[in-house]
This record gives sequence, C-alpha cells and structure tokens, in this order.
Amino acid sequence: MSEKKVFIIPCSGIGKVFGSISRKTAYILVNELAKGKTALECLPLIVKGKKEIIQALKENKVIAIDGCPLKCSYNDLIEAVGKVDAQFMTTEIVKENRDLKPESSIIPIGENTKALSRKLAEKIALKIDELLEEN
Amino acid sequence: MKKKVGIIACSGESLIGGTLSRAAARIVVEKLRPNQTIILCQPLFMAGNLEKHGGQEERDFAKNHPTITIEGCEEECAKIAVNRYSGTPKATIYIQEYIDAHPEVKTNSREKLGEEGINLAEIIAEDIAKKVDELYRTK
Repeated sequence: MSEKKVFIIPCSGIGKVFGSISRKTAYILVNELAKGKTALECLPLIVKGKKEIIQALKENKVIAIDGCPLKCSYNDLIEAVGKVDAQFMTTEIVKENRDLKPESSIIPIGENTKALSRKLAEKIALKIDELLEEN
Repeated sequence: MKKKVGIIACSGESLIGGTLSRAAARIVVEKLRPNQTIILCQPLFMAGNLEKHGGQEERDFAKNHPTITIEGCEEECAKIAVNRYSGTPKATIYIQEYIDAHPEVKTNSREKLGEEGINLAEIIAEDIAKKVDELYRTK
C-alpha cells in the first residue's frame, strides 16, 4: 500500500450552506470513509504560505472541494502549491440530488445537508483510491 | 446610515479554534447584530488571482468598512489577510484566550462543538457584539 496521503482541502466558506457541505464532506472522509489515507489541512494557512504544509501538499495528492463557482480552494491551491489532483463542487451533488434540498442553516447543519455531504464523500472516496493507485 | 462591520473568521478546519470562530461569527451575524454586521468570506478574501476569479468585493468592503477578525490559532491568518489587502482591522478576537479561560469546556472535537462548545461560542459572540457596539459608537 502506498504511503502517500491524499490531502482534502475544503473551501472553508461560511457565508452559505454549500461551504458547510464541503467541510462536512471533508470530515466524513478523514474520520470515516478514507481514514488513514487522507488528511485535512487548513486553507487559510496554505494561502498564508506555511512552508511545511505546502511542501507536504506538493509531495502528496491533493483534492479541492469547493462550495461556489469562485472555486477558492482550487484557485488558492493552484496559486500556493501549483497543482490540484482532483476537484469537486458541492453544488454538483446538490444538482444530482434534487430531492435533498439543503437547509439554509449553517450551524448546526440540517439532515439534508448531512446526507448530501455523505453522498459527496462516497464519490470522493472512490477518487481517493484511484489517486493512491497511481502512486 | 452607519456602515456595517465586516466579520472575518479564520474558518480553519484543522483545529477546534476554527470551528469556534465560525460558530461565533454566525451567531453575531445571524442573531446578535444582524443589522450591523456582515460576514466576509475569508477564503474568498485571500483567494489568488482575484481579478480573474472574482472576490475583489470582499477586499473593497474591508477597505471601506471597519472589520473584526476572529483568530482560531496563533497563526492569525484572518488578521494578516486583512492587513495585507485592506488595512488594519479595528479589533481582533483570539479564540485560544477563551479556550484557556474556560477549561471546563471540552474542546476535543473540531467537528462537533456540542452543547458546551456552542455555549462557549455564544460567550465569544457576545464579546464580538460588544466590539461591534463600540465601533458603532465611535464612528
């Protein structure tokens, strides 16, 4: 098994629920579905230019999860690290599951929001295995 | 009409401090001072190539309005970003000071704050609301 990890970088937005989905998805991956294969890093710290974190991201695989079309996570990673190995949008999982309208509440998040996060996490977990196979 | 105060929380995911900063910011903007404050999205604020990807509005708002940053750890990401792109924040809240002052609150989960964590976020939010009031009085 590869020793490399996949870093999960959610967009961290707190203005809308789509950012909350990105965050919850990241936690599901790191704590459950891809535990031991993934790690979470702080986007603001990456943008700030924390050297040891940027080096770790360069040496491993990186997945961005964005909550809006401005794609802060993706764009910030490209700027700071120079690469993103896969990118996911929370808005896509919402479009694919019209029956699960995310609640507007951000703290705490609602049941539909949690369900959408799990669905997205399941999708990303498959990508994580693919990326680790490449190593 | 008085200018709204921009609230910029660190938003980090790695530590409980980021979770508390987010919760406190939401409490201020949604419940305590909804008419006086607005959340500025920290990742958008810091995003690179803003001209290409949008987001300059966040920086412009912070140039023309008073801001309060909320820091989840000693790295001060929010304060540094505001200083770099928009000018000095009017106030900075350090979450660690509240964690240290309330050792009875279990803060071992960055994902779920729980009842105690939410209570602590409310205490932090009350202090932020007082800062907002001070800024309103001095403007």
